[in-house]
Amino acid sequence: MDPLEVFKSRQTRRAFLTRNTLSLGSIAMGTLLGAEQPTPISQLAPKAKRVIYLFQSGGPSQMDLFDYKPGLAKRFGQEVPTSVYPAERKTTMTSGQASFPVAPSIFKFSQHGQSGIWLSETLPHLAKVIDDVCVIKSMHTEAINHDPAATLFQTGSVIPGRPSMGAWVNYGLGSENANLPAFVAMTSNGTAKTGQPLYDRLWGAGFLPGRFQGVKFRGQGDPILDLYNPAGVTRSQRRRMLDSLETLNQDRADTFNDPTIDTRIAQYELAYRMQMSVPELIDLADEPQAVLDQYGPQATQVGKYAYNCLLARRLAERGVRFIQLYHRGWDAHNNAPKQVPAQCRDTDQPTAALLSDLKQRGMLDETLVVWGGEFGRTVYCQGKLTDKVYGRDHHPNCFTYWMAGGGIRGGISYGETDEYSVNVVENPVHVHDLQATILAQLGIDHEQLTYRYQGRYFRLTDVHGNVIHDIL
Amino acid sequence: MNKIRRPAMKRHHFISPKRLSAALSSCSAAIVVAWSIGCWTNNAQAAKVDFARDIRPILSDACYHCHGPDQHAREAGLRLDDRQAALESGLLTSGEMLERLTSADSDLRMPPPESKRPLSDHNRELLKQWIAEGANWPSDDRHWAFIPPARPELPNAGRGERASNPIDRFVLARLEQEGLDPSPEADKATLLRRVSFDLTGLPPTLDELDLFLADDAPDAYEQAVDRLLQSPRYGEHMAVDWLEASRFADTDGYQNDRLRYMWVWRDWLIQAINDNLPFDQFVVQQMAGDLLPERNFMTQVATGFNRNHRINSEGGSIPDEWIVEYVADRVETMGTMFLGLTLTCSRCHDHKYDPISQNDFYSLFAFFNGIDEAGLGPNNGNSPPFVPVPKSWPNLSPSELQFVEPEAMKIRVTQTSVPRPQAGDTDTVMVLHERAEPRETYRLIRGQYDQPDKSQRLLPATPAVLGGWNQRWPNNRLGLAKWLVDPAHPLTARVTVNRIWQHHFGMGLVKTSENFGVQGELPSHPQLLDWLASEFIRSGWDVKALHRLIVTSSTYRQQSIASSAARQQDPENRFLSHGPRKRLSPFAIRDSVLFASGLLSGKIGGPSVKPYMPPAIWSSISNAKYQKDSGEKLYRRSMYTYWRRTVPPPTMMAFNAAARETCIVRSDLTTTPLQALTLMNNITFVEAARHLAERVIGQQSTSPEQRLTAAFRIVIGRVPSSKELSILLADLQQYQKEFVGNPKSAARLLSVGESPVRDDLQPSELAAYTLVANTILNLDEAITAN
Repeated sequence: MDPLEVFKSRQTRRAFLTRNTLSLGSIAMGTLLGAEQPTPISQLAPKAKRVIYLFQSGGPSQMDLFDYKPGLAKRFGQEVPTSVYPAERKTTMTSGQASFPVAPSIFKFSQHGQSGIWLSETLPHLAKVIDDVCVIKSMHTEAINHDPAATLFQTGSVIPGRPSMGAWVNYGLGSENANLPAFVAMTSNGTAKTGQPLYDRLWGAGFLPGRFQGVKFRGQGDPILDLYNPAGVTRSQRRRMLDSLETLNQDRADTFNDPTIDTRIAQYELAYRMQMSVPELIDLADEPQAVLDQYGPQATQVGKYAYNCLLARRLAERGVRFIQLYHRGWDAHNNAPKQVPAQCRDTDQPTAALLSDLKQRGMLDETLVVWGGEFGRTVYCQGKLTDKVYGRDHHPNCFTYWMAGGGIRGGISYGETDEYSVNVVENPVHVHDLQATILAQLGIDHEQLTYRYQGRYFRLTDVHGNVIHDIL
Repeated sequence: MNKIRRPAMKRHHFISPKRLSAALSSCSAAIVVAWSIGCWTNNAQAAKVDFARDIRPILSDACYHCHGPDQHAREAGLRLDDRQAALESGLLTSGEMLERLTSADSDLRMPPPESKRPLSDHNRELLKQWIAEGANWPSDDRHWAFIPPARPELPNAGRGERASNPIDRFVLARLEQEGLDPSPEADKATLLRRVSFDLTGLPPTLDELDLFLADDAPDAYEQAVDRLLQSPRYGEHMAVDWLEASRFADTDGYQNDRLRYMWVWRDWLIQAINDNLPFDQFVVQQMAGDLLPERNFMTQVATGFNRNHRINSEGGSIPDEWIVEYVADRVETMGTMFLGLTLTCSRCHDHKYDPISQNDFYSLFAFFNGIDEAGLGPNNGNSPPFVPVPKSWPNLSPSELQFVEPEAMKIRVTQTSVPRPQAGDTDTVMVLHERAEPRETYRLIRGQYDQPDKSQRLLPATPAVLGGWNQRWPNNRLGLAKWLVDPAHPLTARVTVNRIWQHHFGMGLVKTSENFGVQGELPSHPQLLDWLASEFIRSGWDVKALHRLIVTSSTYRQQSIASSAARQQDPENRFLSHGPRKRLSPFAIRDSVLFASGLLSGKIGGPSVKPYMPPAIWSSISNAKYQKDSGEKLYRRSMYTYWRRTVPPPTMMAFNAAARETCIVRSDLTTTPLQALTLMNNITFVEAARHLAERVIGQQSTSPEQRLTAAFRIVIGRVPSSKELSILLADLQQYQKEFVGNPKSAARLLSVGESPVRDDLQPSELAAYTLVANTILNLDEAITAN
């Protein structure tokens, strides 16, 4: 290992230990953590400094995007054999169907880049940067409905109550920027009108202390809740108020000999610095037109996926550790031929732009970009099958994710599915494996990042998870 | 390079195969007799090692995962949770355990590195010391919390004159032992504000404060306490902890997060607390009010407690899977709230630390597995069983008070195959009701709904380790409830008094109020805990009396200023050498600001309300739209704020409210910059600052000093020091100058919020006072009970 890397990793580890043992008394306030120190992390050498996770909510259709199955065309309308797709674990939305006919993808596929990775025609922009991307076609999960499946991806458990991945990372590594939160979440709505709801718990802190939760950047009103001073109040007035508050609070801190008051004083200063730094963050005036063009026509429209991608890059530049985007609308039960391209029009160009923008700035190597949803979709048709229209139900047994940057090998395709895109036949990757790999790239051993709650040590990957070494 | 040694046999055998068979044959050990209590200590090294206090927590944390109660995870057949098995293994005294603890050989050393259960040097030393002292393992080694509390004698403390009641005798004795001094009583203003917040969630009014300060009667404080206990605000405030633990919400909690109507249960709760319903009945009615011989509509409403769990309505979900989830949620909630045990662990396997087997879990599960309920919820509305609520609620006529037979569940298939039950409308409330035949209960292998172990049907039963079952009790939820509140039960009373203690002191006598099991913390004052538990039962489970006992103790009435010695020696104030200093709950923070402004509505109960929220709070991430209320509903107490589980109220969450997804009885109080932003800029808080300003400008003849002093007293409960006052005055003058020069800014600040602005006041003056009021409301002291 590069001695410099070893050194850095030890530095990180030391910072981690220090923050959780010593300064918690001063930063954290009071109660819970004092006695509940995390197990020391034996750090791996970090490859990535941060993560940008582009969560595609609703369950993108793997066989309409990545998982090319040329053999299905000739099976149009034939029953999917029950030997391939058993009746169990079909959702009750389709399990009562009389027939389960094969719906081959309507889209044309072709190979791209040096790597020759197959992509459907709906992803022309990703095609141009595909040599930086590792496509994982063998993802699988056990959850079959949106809520438990999304919760599993974000928290490692189908049952709500656990910390989200970003909260774990925040807890383990903290921020590189004292003026911004370490973990930011942003949401956008898809063009296809089948948006699955999202839930605050997806970026919540679960049983970790609340300060580790993701801070939601909002598409409406203040970018961070209550960030701006009330109407009519100037910055200098606020500064004066903060100075008075500090004097008055400090006086009480001395009287009561209570370190939580010192913490509160510090947090007011941090709030003030956030008030200063966020407007600068979201002011796109310094972006050259060429960059805006790269992200597409919605790059400057607050709350759109393209805008969130651009903001993700700006947050990454400023050292934010975990940047989580959610884009709704992939739940193509009724008309995948219409819904899939609509979603791609929202996301394909900005996603590819984010990758090339990071690369141009030399940041892709240290930024892990993750793309994927909560599950895939069935090869059999939901509802009526015609040569132009088909719907697809939820499918947990195989689906596609991709990762780029952050020490992941680009230009490779990993894992294989059967000829129907129903089951994984090579190199299965479970949700917990993906989580373990993401943590590993950040230099965290997923088995060692634990938090004691209700008498037991919890971790993101529960008691599972293997790092996917083949793609590193 | 190190030489790697690979033993031929499985690694990490603690004992040789010869001993193995002996250990295996002794796995079922009997439970035993006398017992010495463990007690939490922060001394680095206790004089003599005590098994219960010092050793078992280490064994539990580091060893039980592989050498504990879970027979399926057990390595080498060795148990270190079972006295007889551990002794018969011989390794405690043979030197083998010592060798395993001290060996530098990673193949021998315990715990093995890949177990990821590191043992600190300190704990390793303690184990070595214990072995060196003869590995004394008392014959009654039952975990302290599983032995019913006996009423201890009151200790004779040297400073007995400082004791107001028995609580103080225990606390003073412990302080003496630790070499710490108690603190003097807090001043009257501080004390009244503290106890008002603790009992009602609101500060005293200025009139109440002035009356109290002028009252020289020796029992003036006790009288104030009695007044607060009679206030209807008491029931509201005490209900909040219960709502959080009961995971109460206005929506179902999954995916589209459909609406439900449970506020009638919340009304019942507030009323029951205000009526001081004895705690045993309070529990019985909520657990089994539908099964009581003298059941009526009210006891039926009480059972809504066990319907507050989340319900999945997502199309396509598999009903059987979710019924298991609801039933398990009830078991887990009961475990946390009444037993202080993490029963959840035994859902998938035998508990790793506590003697609760997986069969125990599913035997408890069987009590709740007969409800006439659906796996999938309806699309919006209450899920069966539910009963209609008379329009006259809560003023019911005698005929309306009768028990109501809920309409039987009717499943209808929608889409191609989604089975949904009928939905209860806004005028219903969810209750418990038994099916004609309960569902059959089996142990679920790895907790999976479709993996029942059909070899043995499980009937309702309680874990033997938690005390006996009276054959006169019916073998159903009613019997279960009677078991919980049986005076001989080892846990319910302890867990309850501990939570009430936590309410007042910010930390329980058992700090891990959710976990009294082996992995939980030992009590700081074990005898006090037991005395309070026995006193609680003796009083007839009188909750108000318990609150009164605690808040009238000298311990509670101490000033909360920590001496440097105390801060050093006991940073968490576990020994109680000074009074509690607590940040207010999120609910009390918002309520007290509305109270100070005069905006707070006095209305009690009723449906949830929708106060100010950020734009697109729901619609930005879901398919629902938030429709803000107006008028009085903007200013109701925070406990009535509409709770959408997937998008909970951000102001409450910013101050660490429980998310209402699962049962939560303890929350952390981390401080974040988002809290500062809320208090400075949130519309409710800015509007309230304006009203506080209007209040104190009120009389035109008063001076700025008098006005600011009044505002300060309203919020903080004390007169500001001259230094404090001069800072605020200087700010006021500066702001006023600025707003005079910029009337538009003043107008904009005053326009925050929907309530009308008084037009008889100078806008520049009002704006300046508003900003100073905003400053006062942001003081650390404003959101803290000193």
